[in-house]
This record gives sequence, C-alpha cells and structure tokens, in this order.
Amino acid sequence: MRITDLLKKSGIALGVKVANKSEAIDKLISLHEKCGNLKDVKAYKEGILNREKLGTTAVGMEVAIPHAKSDAVKAPALTAITVPDGVDYDSPDGQPCKLLFMIAATTDGDVHLEVLARLMQLLMHEDFTAQLKAAKTPEEFISIIDAKETEKFPDEPKAEVPAKKGYRVLAITACPTGIAHTYMAAESLQKAGDSLNIPIKVETNGSGGAKNVLTEEEIANCDGIIIAADITINLARFDGKPVLQCAVSDGIHKPEELINKIVNKEVPVYHHKGGSADAPKKRGGAYGHLMNGVSHMLPFVVAGGIFIAIAFLIDIACGVNAQEVGSAFGTVTPVAAWFKTLGGVAFNLMVPILSGFIAMSIADRPGLLVGLVGGFMATSGATFADPGAANTVPSGFLGGLLAGFVGGYLMLAIEKMCDKMPKALEGIKPVLIYPLLGLGGILVVMCAVNPFMGMINSGMSNGLNAIAANPAMMVPLCALLAGMMAIDMGGPFNKAAYAFATLNLANADDQAYIIMAAVMIGGMVPPIAIALSNTFFKNRWTDEERKNAPVNYVMGLSFITEGAIPYAAGHPLQVIPSCIVGSAVAGALSALFGCKLMAPHGGIFVFATMQGTWYFYLLALAIGAVVSMLMLALLKRPLKK
Amino acid sequence: MVSKKLVLTNAQGFHMRPASVFATAMGKYSCDVTIKFNGNQYNAKSLLNIIAACIKCGSEIEVICDGADENEALAEATQLIESGLGE
Repeated sequence: MRITDLLKKSGIALGVKVANKSEAIDKLISLHEKCGNLKDVKAYKEGILNREKLGTTAVGMEVAIPHAKSDAVKAPALTAITVPDGVDYDSPDGQPCKLLFMIAATTDGDVHLEVLARLMQLLMHEDFTAQLKAAKTPEEFISIIDAKETEKFPDEPKAEVPAKKGYRVLAITACPTGIAHTYMAAESLQKAGDSLNIPIKVETNGSGGAKNVLTEEEIANCDGIIIAADITINLARFDGKPVLQCAVSDGIHKPEELINKIVNKEVPVYHHKGGSADAPKKRGGAYGHLMNGVSHMLPFVVAGGIFIAIAFLIDIACGVNAQEVGSAFGTVTPVAAWFKTLGGVAFNLMVPILSGFIAMSIADRPGLLVGLVGGFMATSGATFADPGAANTVPSGFLGGLLAGFVGGYLMLAIEKMCDKMPKALEGIKPVLIYPLLGLGGILVVMCAVNPFMGMINSGMSNGLNAIAANPAMMVPLCALLAGMMAIDMGGPFNKAAYAFATLNLANADDQAYIIMAAVMIGGMVPPIAIALSNTFFKNRWTDEERKNAPVNYVMGLSFITEGAIPYAAGHPLQVIPSCIVGSAVAGALSALFGCKLMAPHGGIFVFATMQGTWYFYLLALAIGAVVSMLMLALLKRPLKK
Repeated sequence: MVSKKLVLTNAQGFHMRPASVFATAMGKYSCDVTIKFNGNQYNAKSLLNIIAACIKCGSEIEVICDGADENEALAEATQLIESGLGE
C-alpha cells in the first residue's frame, strides 16, 4: 500500500490557518468527509478525540499524525494539511505542528500500522518534511511524496504497485461512431478510479483516432484491462493480461464494478490466438464487425459528399447550363472540378474502407488487406476477363459488405490452415504468407462474384427497354426505376436504372425527360428520408447516427444517394426496403405530375431546367421521403435505452 | 551487552501509542536500546524509529541493551512488551 494510493488531491489543504488543535482536527476530518472516506463523520471524530485523550499524536519535528481505527471508515485513507504559522498540538518537543496527516483506518487489516510506518520512514528525513511544508499545490505535495516513496522503496511488489506512477487498471472505450459514448465512458471510468483510489488510464478510440494511447510498459505493469466497446478492438497487445470485455454503456453506468473485478482478480487472463477462428467472439458478432466498418466509413461519406455538393453549387453559381453540359455538371468551372474530383477521391474510398474495417474487425490486422482490396474490387467491378474493370459494373456497397465479411473469414480460415505449417515459417506468416494467400483468395472471390453484377445489370437494362417500349407503362416504369436507385445506392441495380435514364436522354423527347426526373428523385429520397427519420423519430437512432444525419439533407437535395449508405449498411433490412418504397412512390408521382428533367445530375441545383414543373417535383420528393420515413419508423423499433 | 527475544502480543502491533510508551520508558536509561527486527536495527528510544519498523502483532523482536544500566533497561522492556504495552 503506497501513501499516494491513500492520499488524494482533494484530501490536501495547504497553508491552512487554525487557531488550535481542535480546529486542526476539524479541518482534517472535513477533508476526509469531502473525499467520501467516512461512513459516519461523528463516530470517526469521536475515535480521533478518544485517541488524542490517550496522549498526543504529535511526533516531533513539527509533525502530528492524528489517527483512528473505526467502523465509521469506508476505506483506508489519508488527509493532510500544512499550517505555516504552526498550531499547538502538545508536541513532546514543545514545538508547534506545521505538517499534519490524519489516518482513517478500517478495523480490519494492518493498513493503519503500515501507513503509519511508511509515513514515519519518510518523515525521518528533514529535507522531505521541509519540502512538504513548502509545497504550493496539492499536485506538488503528492509528487514529493511519490518521488520519496519510490526512492525509499524501489522494489515494491509489482502486483500491488506497478511502477512509479503506474496504472493499476487500464481501459479502452469505443463506440460505433466515437463521438459521445466513447468519451462518456472514459470520463466515468476515470472518475470511478479516482474515487476508489485506483490509478486508471483510459484510452479513447473515438472518431478522432485513439487518444491517450496505452503504452507497452503500462500494459505490462497493470493489473488488467477493461475493454468497454461496441466495436471490436484489436486485443493482440493484451496477450497474457486479464482482459474484461463489456459494452460501452457498462463503462458509463457501472465503472466501479468493472474496476473492482479487475482489482479483485475476477477476470480471466486473455490469450491472443493470432486471430484464429475462436478469437473474434466479441460483443455483437456480425453486428459489431459491421458497425466497425460503418463508423470508419462515415467521415469519408460526409466530407466527400459535402465537397461534391459544393462543386454543384459553384457550377450553378457560375451560370453553367446543366442541360447542355450533361454529366459534366459539377466539373465545368475549374474550381468546381477541383472540389468534385477530389471530394470524389474520399467518396470512392468509402466502400473499400467499409469492407476493409469489417474484415479487420473479424480477422485483426491481416484482415485489412483483404477487406480493402475486396472493397476496391466491389467499386471497380473487376472480373477475370476484365481485371482492369474497363467495361464492368460495380457491385457497390452491397458487394463491399460481401467483400468485408468474406475477406475477414477467409483470412481466419487461411490462418487456421497455416497452423499446421512448420514452426520455422512462423516469422514470415504475417508478413508474407497471410497477405499473399489472402490477396489471391479475395481476388478470386470478387472476380467470380462481379460477373453476376454485370449479368444483373444487363438483364435489368434489357427488361427496362422492353417495358419502355410500351408507352402505357410509363408510371410503373418510373416507379421501378426510382425504386432501383434505392436498392444498392451505387451497385448494379442503381447503375442499371441510372444508365438507362442517361442513355435515353440522347433521344431528347418528353419520355426521356420524365424518366430522368423519376430516376433522380429515386436517388434523392433515401438520404432525405434518413435525415427526416433522424429528426422526427429520434429514438430509432443512436446519438452518433443522429449527429451525422443533418448532412443527409444536403446530400439528398444534391442527389448524392450515397449519404444514406452508412445507415443502409448498418441496418440493411429496415433501411433498404423503406427507401425502395419511398423512392418508388416519389418516382411514380413525378411521372404522374409529368415532371421533366433535362440534366442527368445536380439535384436541387438543376431544378431550374425543369420547365416549370419543379414545384410538383419537390412535392413528389417530399411525399416519397415522408412515406419512406414512416415505413422506416414501422420497421425499425425504438432503441432500448 | 544483553539481549532478549520477545514476541509482540498487543493486537495492533507497535502503533503510535505503544511505541511512544516504549520510547519514553527507554529514554530514561543511559544505555543504548536497540530493537532488532527483520534483519534491521532500530533505535528504541525514538518514537519515529519504532513506528517506522512496522512491527505487527505476533512478530518476534530482539531487544538489545548496551551500556551501564543495560540490565534494568532490558527488564523494563521485557515487562512492557509482555504486558502488551498497556493495552
């Protein structure tokens, strides 16, 4: 037991003025009370006064150590005051006391005696007591004690006190988006550690990256690690230490319980299996992996999407005619082109990041390569016949989800197979064998899957052409096209619908313009529906999801459907059907109202080209988005608080 | 020089009050009084020294007196410790 374990900053008062012994005692007791060390202040004070009756607790050298061992004490603790003017404490040498410590001891154990002994050993050094009396701040006071204690007792048993300023308990907090809960849990654990007098350090894996990162030395010296996270954390560095895994909400609501479990050694030692098949049994399973991907993807979507919207805004502000420039809209003026192209870089990384971090969550570090490459192939659509993806159809974010999960489990399988390899190859496994086999595996899988995307795509195109041949089918066709825009938000369905509309645009007739309008509205509904749902049905979404939602209004109005992807990827079964229905309704209404659009892109920025039908268009958009929002509210139940 | 091995019997060990009783009692003698405990020697006339030794109940200590009145000092030390230092 170290003195610094028992003495808190809030238990120290420096430069106190007291008139007599009884005031000094009251001051020290009030510090104990402030720190929450006492169950019964009155009983404790009685114990202190009874002890003083038996003889003064002044020990000479201007020091007094009043103390009581009592049932009124919650946990052993110390308080201290310095009295520069001195106070008469019936000292044996007749000197007034200037440095006073008060010990609160519980009736069980020898803490009382040990603390007393330790204090005495330190106090025998006059330079030490002089330093304490001169201390300006409680921090300085504690660091003087800490330094002396470390000098005096260099080889403390490690289990009890790790190293100088060592942390007994370490923790990592993380939540899917890393904006609120991560930091709430960290603060709550830190506070609990302080009040239990257990040094604790908390690493936050928030959206800004890992802060307050645990060092190898700290990990080696701690009693155990608390992982309060709703996403998977790489645990390789905690091999051989007790690791307690729990939800981030446990970190917020019951930090004391978690810390006590570690301190009381109730937590089993974690053995890292190098990512073997039984390692990733973490909270949430597939959902945890998914959220790990989604939370890493979010910033790419938000930042990239806003850059692209800015590009549209610049072009329109510069008087670009959206109808004439067609798909070049957003890149006509050099400044717009800069925003659109470079915003697009972040945007195009979205799916690789999603699958990369899903795979990394499943298979730790070796999974990143397979997931990233697989995700990239999902966006490019590479096949065996066309590896350069010159003429292919991307599989979009649904293909990215597939790549993430397949890649992750593929890597686990590869690692398992490699278990039987000779020990001599152990060193080159993570640097050569895993990446090589993993890369080969994911390339084969994605090249095998992607052609089906092409087939779906061309099948859809043929079907659409057949339907379009019948003018009476106009409204159903528009509903279908708009719905397809919302299915995969960038995959084969979306691309088929969009390509159909833009190719038709070359005909330059009313039918083509009506179809274009329906397709664009189908791509605008999902982000707006998501944003509306987050605004009006707050209890369906987490804090993090809500904080990122407003930007979806901007993206929806700019026809950047991808804004909805993080939400669709996180809750595909609820979000995708709702978006399809809402988009289809909007598409059908747009066709019924006879809305005509001559520009292939641009969202609200190209409404000016709509030959006066834009107000109906806006109405169709609003109805579609509201339908989508209501359906989402039905499908997605409120979160449990 | 005389010495004697003794077992501390008072429940809370050599905490402040018994230590002060013992140190005050030993202070009367002119001989050196030392407590040997756990391989270390402590000046038994100093309250700080005794407490710093952290001697718990049931510990065996050796009291060493060396000087003119060593026998008397050792006798009183023995009597004090065996009686539980007034507790």
